Amino acid sequence: MSEITQNLPQDTSRGPKRRQSDLSVLAGRSVRTAILVIATLWVLVPLFFMVIASFKSVADFFINPFGLPDEWLWSNYTRAWDEANLRLTLPNTIIVTFCAVLGSSLLSAMVAYGLSRKEKKYALPLYTLFVSGLLVPVHAIILPLFIVLKAIGLFGTLLALIVPYIAMGLPLGVLVLTPLAASLPKELMQAARMDGASEWQVFRRIVLPLLKPGLLSVAILNGVWMWNEFFIPLILAFKPEVQTMPVGIVSFIGSYSTEWGLVFASVLVSTLPVVVAYLLMTRQFQSGLTAGAVKG
Amino acid sequence: MSARPVSSFSKTYGHLWFVLPGFAFFLAVMIFPLLFATGLSMTNWSGLGNDVSFIGLANYVEILTHWPFYRAAMHNAFIFLAILVFQHTVGLYLAVLLNEKPRFMQFYRTVLFLPVIMSLVATGFVWTLMLSPNIGLINPMLEKIGLGFLAQQWLSNPTWALIMIIMVTAWNSMGWAIIIYLAGLQNVPEELRQAAEMDGANSRQVFWRVVFPQLSPAFTALTVLTFIGTFRTFDVVYVLTGPLGAPNFATDVLGTLIYRTAFGGSSFSSADIRFAFGVAMALLTMVIMAVICWGLIRILRKREIES
Repeated sequence: MSEITQNLPQDTSRGPKRRQSDLSVLAGRSVRTAILVIATLWVLVPLFFMVIASFKSVADFFINPFGLPDEWLWSNYTRAWDEANLRLTLPNTIIVTFCAVLGSSLLSAMVAYGLSRKEKKYALPLYTLFVSGLLVPVHAIILPLFIVLKAIGLFGTLLALIVPYIAMGLPLGVLVLTPLAASLPKELMQAARMDGASEWQVFRRIVLPLLKPGLLSVAILNGVWMWNEFFIPLILAFKPEVQTMPVGIVSFIGSYSTEWGLVFASVLVSTLPVVVAYLLMTRQFQSGLTAGAVKG
Repeated sequence: MSARPVSSFSKTYGHLWFVLPGFAFFLAVMIFPLLFATGLSMTNWSGLGNDVSFIGLANYVEILTHWPFYRAAMHNAFIFLAILVFQHTVGLYLAVLLNEKPRFMQFYRTVLFLPVIMSLVATGFVWTLMLSPNIGLINPMLEKIGLGFLAQQWLSNPTWALIMIIMVTAWNSMGWAIIIYLAGLQNVPEELRQAAEMDGANSRQVFWRVVFPQLSPAFTALTVLTFIGTFRTFDVVYVLTGPLGAPNFATDVLGTLIYRTAFGGSSFSSADIRFAFGVAMALLTMVIMAVICWGLIRILRKREIES
């Protein structure tokens, strides 16, 4: 009986050719599920072992490669805090990412507003100039940037990362926000101007709040790469006092290459904040990152 | 407060005040260093000392016969092609599976995209734990399930090392393909699919003739993204096989080559550092990449319109 009711809609919609037995449908579904499970395991198994590894002693790595640690060493984390310099690099990463995200979001919103009137002659060339910044690889500019920062005395401070990050966040910000700013209702701004609002007030009170959804995307897009960036601080931050976590961890492994427990504890500390943010705002991360990537 | 008289100048250019601060940053960090770099690339500066003289395009001419450059570019190209195929097959297939709204779809989607938000350095360490000759887990696992003969020195065998770099890059970037294709699949109008089914097309025909052509914007975006990502690759190689692209330069890519030439790798003495030559390589790479990128976009967009 159930066979009839299940097959009926299929027969009418897919034509007589597609009469499949329940068995083959079931087999097909299991294969599909199996493929999804394998892909998921491929992602999760290494992550799972990394979490375990961050609690292991050095001896555990060799005696007992994939078992649970004999003794869960929370001390790996406290030791990583001091010895792998997380006490310096974690605050650095937070400060640098926070300032640079704030700076580049605000500046790109301003640029977007300034360029949003397409009838102005300068709008399109300037927009193209900003957006073409996406094509410039860090490799090409990092070396002169290093010299410039040294010359103006920012080298050796956190500003040596914040200032470049703000500028490098602009192309994506301008790309995402300018079309949004151009689509805002002109009457709203005109009305505010009539009431005597200055251009800055129009921007601050009307444009900025309306750009909020776009600004969130831009903040996520820029925040993720700034938090994770490795190459720029590798060149521009030479000592732990000004390093961010990815470089800090790599230079730690260079000096203590057998303290694997500490390395994985540090990697986990550096990854966890982004993962938590991602799990709390999965949809915004996925749509924000994809929108930026596709347009870029 | 009465409205201020507005001069015609500020009416035309008043909005530029909003552009100015951003432009100042952009000028200082992007444009000026780029011009500076172009000038530097025409000198023989080593990066240390005051010994600088103008040598015109000699650095660029030298790159043309600098075979490590070609070797590194070949490795980038190889990684690009492998990841490209992976994204458009495995990535696309996983997106199709997820688009059928299986149970736990949200869970799969969240997990499969997770590596994208992880740093490449973290990714590199995660896979060091799996592949390393000392602490790696893959070899003991293979031995345990009786496949010990498959165990390898994954990162010190020249062939395997590059394959492993590709595998780790695929692990990190698969989420892009899934999310981009999934967004594309969700935009395919249901009527189109149903109409084709009515006409007696089987599911394979429906996918390749009806659905897949609708995905060409996703195909374009993903191809360009993969191109840029793989030709800029650096972090994964640096963590897994080091700045020298070990073993014996088998995983040397443009990123590590430029880094080493301009700043020196661990085993290079300072005499081998050639800052200006490194800058020239970086600039040449940028120009070639921009041209290829532009070409790719033009060809793929044209294809989108035709289909």
